[in-house]
Amino acid sequence: MGETRYLCRALDIGEGEAKGFGPIDGARRKVILVRRGGVLRGWLDACPHYSTGTPMAWKTDGYLNGERTHLTCHSHGALFEIETGECVLGPCLGQRLTAVAISVSEEGDVFVALPVEEKSKSDN
Amino acid sequence: MNIIGPDYLVFGVDDVAASIEYLTAWGLKPVDVTEKGGIFETLDGTGIIIRHKADPMLPPPLPTSNMLRQQVYGVRSAEDLDAIEAELGTDRRVTRLSDGSIELKDDHGFELKFQVTIRRELDMPAEKINAPGAPAQRRPNEIGVWEEMPALPRTLSHVVLFVPDLDVATKFYCDRLGFVITDVLTGAGPFLRPKANDDHHTLFFIRTPEYMKGCEHLAFHMGGPTELMVAGTRFVKKGYQSFWGPGRHKFGSNWFWYFNSPLGCHFEYDADMDKHDDTWIAREAPMGAEASQIVLFEMREKWAPTGGPPPGAKG
Ligand code: FES
Ligand SMILES: [Fe+2]
Repeated sequence: MGETRYLCRALDIGEGEAKGFGPIDGARRKVILVRRGGVLRGWLDACPHYSTGTPMAWKTDGYLNGERTHLTCHSHGALFEIETGECVLGPCLGQRLTAVAISVSEEGDVFVALPVEEKSKSDN
Repeated sequence: MNIIGPDYLVFGVDDVAASIEYLTAWGLKPVDVTEKGGIFETLDGTGIIIRHKADPMLPPPLPTSNMLRQQVYGVRSAEDLDAIEAELGTDRRVTRLSDGSIELKDDHGFELKFQVTIRRELDMPAEKINAPGAPAQRRPNEIGVWEEMPALPRTLSHVVLFVPDLDVATKFYCDRLGFVITDVLTGAGPFLRPKANDDHHTLFFIRTPEYMKGCEHLAFHMGGPTELMVAGTRFVKKGYQSFWGPGRHKFGSNWFWYFNSPLGCHFEYDADMDKHDDTWIAREAPMGAEASQIVLFEMREKWAPTGGPPPGAKG
């Protein structure tokens, strides 16, 4: 991995929890860290319903649905699989969130790879 | 048919606690709210009703993921309910409830209820402004803004629906229920106002695929653009997520600020919407960023230019 930026301690994200960080270094959107089955994953806080990618939380760190089973866009209720980022219900059915590369150091610190970017989008 | 506009919008949510927190922070007053949900009122009594999505008291869900369960319309009198029942009873089931209200489905399957309106008449001033050439609206020594100034939603303003067929939607509300088209954004849809309301719109349609059918947003009238921006700024400071705005729409002239919500649709503060009567001729413009707004801003953290450091000083 090239340049990275410190986000948090790995312990800060409990099982079944999601948190938002940033936007980092002038990126337009935040990074979501979410832990499921012990695995920590990073996704860009940018719903693919609109090509500009819009923020998904309903309030700070509010990224999950009521059942805490999916990442959720609180614009129109799209549900995304935590493991794959795929939209399984809602307006952007079949589209995916943008994965963000993260790494956890031996000391348990979480770093994100720079730059944090959205996939290039052509329409709109 | 003297339909006034939405009295309540009913939602079946997946997170009742989050919704209660959100609606209260939005500025609505909880009325008989328990952990099962309840009513959240604006100043005139219109508002939002929530229950958990599995609550059997709710009308059935849409076949999509949308959480909107019912739109409750207020009408002037019991005769209006009779007229609606007579008109719509010819081709669908209309259920008369014990309180005299009626329930039915529109042609897209949205659940509707009509009742003699519960809204209370408001008697409060609009935002007052002073401008050269016009009589001052604020007396000498009457200040325009202060830190604790009230900025609460006054009434439920409008609802915007994602619908697969604009023709079907427009025909139902205009031909059967007497709504009037005030303006059209081609590529999105028409703005509608009911007969007993002179607001530019209480209803707007956006054409989408069938699987998106539902509520895109709902809006509340504020006392003016300042109240709108004060309420929105307070909301952002509490951690809620702005989606679009603040800005001012072209059609309707209303100021807007949209936010994400745990109810699966956007919530909008609006202010200073145009009024129309039957002499108005609907305009048409292609949907797009230019047609949609005259100005658009994005909130930033408060900041102020000061004298700055003396020349040559660090930082
Ligand atoms: S913007 Fe995310 S579901 Fe519409
Ligand atoms: Fe609106």
